Amino acid sequence: MPELSTPPRAAPALAIERLSYFYPAAARSRHSPRQEGVNAGCALRDVSLTLAAGEFALLAGRSACGKTTLLRAACGLVPHFHGGEIEGSVRVTGLDAIESGPGELAAAVGYVAQDPETQIVSTTVAAEIELPLEMRGDSQASRARAVEEVALALAIPQLLDRTVDTLSGGELQRVALAAALVTRPKLVLLDEPTSQLDPVAGDELIWLLRRLNEEWGVTILLAEHRLERCLAAADRVIAMASGSIAFDGSPRDFLAWAQQADAALETPAARLFSLVGIEPLPVGVRDARNILSSIDAQLGRVPDPGGCPPLAGFFASALGSRPRGRVGRKTNAAARGTPPRVRHPPAAATRDLWVELRQGDEPHDVLKGIDLKVERGERIALMGRNGAGKSTLLRTLAGLVEPVRGKAEVPGGMALLTQNPSDYLVRERVGDELPGDAGLTALRIVGLEQKVDADPRDLSGGERQRLALAIALAGRVEGDELPGLVALDEPTRGMDRARGRDLVELIEGFAVRGAAVLVATHDVEFAAAFAQRVVLMGDGVVIADGSAAEILSGGWYFATEVARILDLPGAITPELGAAVLGRETP
Amino acid sequence: MRSPFAYTPRSGPLQAASPGAAVAYLGALVAVAFLYSNPLVLAAVGIAAALAGYGAGAGAAVRIALRMGATLALLIVAVNVLVVDRGVTVLFRVGEAPLLGRVDLTAEAMAEGAILGLRAAVAMIAFAVYSACVDPDRVLRGLRPIARRSALTAALISRLVPVAVADAARLRDAGRLRGPAAAPVGRTALLRRLMAGSLDRAVDVAATLELRGYAVQPSPRRHVAAFPPRWGGQPCNKRSRYDRRFYLTGALVLIAAIAGLALGADSFHAYPTIEVGLGSGTVALSALIVLSGLAPRRRDA
Repeated sequence: MPELSTPPRAAPALAIERLSYFYPAAARSRHSPRQEGVNAGCALRDVSLTLAAGEFALLAGRSACGKTTLLRAACGLVPHFHGGEIEGSVRVTGLDAIESGPGELAAAVGYVAQDPETQIVSTTVAAEIELPLEMRGDSQASRARAVEEVALALAIPQLLDRTVDTLSGGELQRVALAAALVTRPKLVLLDEPTSQLDPVAGDELIWLLRRLNEEWGVTILLAEHRLERCLAAADRVIAMASGSIAFDGSPRDFLAWAQQADAALETPAARLFSLVGIEPLPVGVRDARNILSSIDAQLGRVPDPGGCPPLAGFFASALGSRPRGRVGRKTNAAARGTPPRVRHPPAAATRDLWVELRQGDEPHDVLKGIDLKVERGERIALMGRNGAGKSTLLRTLAGLVEPVRGKAEVPGGMALLTQNPSDYLVRERVGDELPGDAGLTALRIVGLEQKVDADPRDLSGGERQRLALAIALAGRVEGDELPGLVALDEPTRGMDRARGRDLVELIEGFAVRGAAVLVATHDVEFAAAFAQRVVLMGDGVVIADGSAAEILSGGWYFATEVARILDLPGAITPELGAAVLGRETP
Repeated sequence: MRSPFAYTPRSGPLQAASPGAAVAYLGALVAVAFLYSNPLVLAAVGIAAALAGYGAGAGAAVRIALRMGATLALLIVAVNVLVVDRGVTVLFRVGEAPLLGRVDLTAEAMAEGAILGLRAAVAMIAFAVYSACVDPDRVLRGLRPIARRSALTAALISRLVPVAVADAARLRDAGRLRGPAAAPVGRTALLRRLMAGSLDRAVDVAATLELRGYAVQPSPRRHVAAFPPRWGGQPCNKRSRYDRRFYLTGALVLIAAIAGLALGADSFHAYPTIEVGLGSGTVALSALIVLSGLAPRRRDA
């Protein structure tokens, strides 16, 4: 009988040792006589990290902390494509990533970048997904099977025949992911893959990654800002700050660390628990419910069949008393700022609005009889799945798209910020984009009056977004009065929570000045933070229209994490979740 | 809405032909435009390129290219008339102008400018037909054997136009959304932004190509050159039954043009006075070139 030999130990999926990296501009200034030896501009600073085969790791951190650069180093784009100076070593499944190029690593690594538009190279979806297999020289039969399987796994078989220029951002993201997964790589690197996905697709994607990880043993390194979406799926969290690793440990330990080190990295569930004073902090909805149930059981509480939900009962206990009945009165964002009484005509109104767009050669109804009224001072989140018609509705209100039937009226004027703020920036000085007093007024409204002489390229992502908004507002402001409607399309793409909070303040400021603010967003936590009203769209029609408290706590997907834990109407943010219960207690 | 310059899959012969055949055909027309200065021949090339576009179902792209080409041609004429003071037929004496010195507008300078403008317009029409009718995916795959180590070159050749077209649409929308007091975008700023943005995006596309394994030699064991027809694609290296038609037409046009040059068909001189040769050779060559524009039409059409 042949002797069974012990299988060789698998090399780590990713092994990084003492990695430091400077992008070319930073490397040049590093060597300039005045900056000799200075490490300013170091994108990665002495990073050491090992991912064992089959791990699912989450890469957390604020914007520009080095997450994207680390992922680029792991797939060989840094330094091979981006240049610059690198020190240390990076090994991917045993291959030296600094010696080998991204092409050599392609068989072992799949990479999905933040912006899907930059990673689509083919004309049709099928050709795009098939490209890596074709480059590898796979047979037609194996290519066809692999494409079909990955399309089914990502629920995109209906897209295979489409040309890529007819896809929405979320659809493009899934196609890019399919192209990265189709070769079945051992290590998959993802840079904010859910930033353009609706909550349904985002949750499905995370669980698909978990399934790939569990069933195929694929190692996952996922950079994300929306931690509440993926923390429960991760085995490990690596947090970065200023190019270095600031934390590396289990998700639960990460939450405890974030509570002390950076509140912007806290999940809503963890924030809720810390507000109420419960430990341990939960790594997801299920964990939160389990913790609460176990505490309920310890207290000997039984669910009250006719009264409040049992978890609400627990929270009342935790706060010192038991709530009486359901929470209902002033529970939503209205509690944080009531809009001015309506004396103006509506800021925007649509009547039986139908819009037809071409997808390929076929016309397609994108909006189907939308009736909507938006009052001045309202803060509205426009939500719905990818391709539901949100962006088209905003574009139609702004006059970029002509309806085929019905009317869209914006009597007080409108400023629209589209998904790519950089498209608004065509000059090399902020003041040149916005000349004169009207330009200065617009800059003042968004808080950029000090940046008149700056080059827009030198501004941070958030500042560029504000500048683009100022460009859209310029000349539409009379005295202190803003246009009737200010609309933003997916403004939180790639934005961390801290910047998200700044945006909420800006939006609230607009509403206080009497403008209606209409924001198309997939980010339910952001919607809960700013919106009083949520309009939920599906396949070109409005399927729900109500208060944020009602809409964001009444469903599975379009519900905040706190709402999913508490299941209490109105409790959509950690603060409201705790405060509402506290208010209801005698 | 899709740009007319964006490639649209259709079942015409030009779309079905391999990229090499399509480039040989359209390239021959552009080559003739650069070999000849005779206005009749240049006009014939323009007509042939436009006919090719209409025959291939890219009429919208041809119309826009014609408008853009005419604008560019007028600009070239205006600049040439102002800058060049050669020629004996003075149409208008402007007098002394700063930087330019004494300016006389001559018919000969205008004629030369018209020829240069016509040539540029013809090239634009041919490029518009190429962009709308030749599948960039197949160009990309076709380039791989010759540009395997340079994904950037391949990305620039095959994707720059589609990327620029998509960016231009977005920038146009953003321009329309600017507030009335924001600085107007202006064509120059827009073009600069478009070029810079498109090059940046092409670099990103090249990075993606690298990640997809573009630069890696495929394993010979695995290599099977085919492309599933259900997705509307065509194999990059599989020849089409229309290839011969386009290779032959391109070769015929080019040979006839070179022969015509040798026989003196391109008799055009702008200076000192305008001389245009319209001999039988020139007329015959022009007729042949116009007929070549019918190559992309279906035989049963």
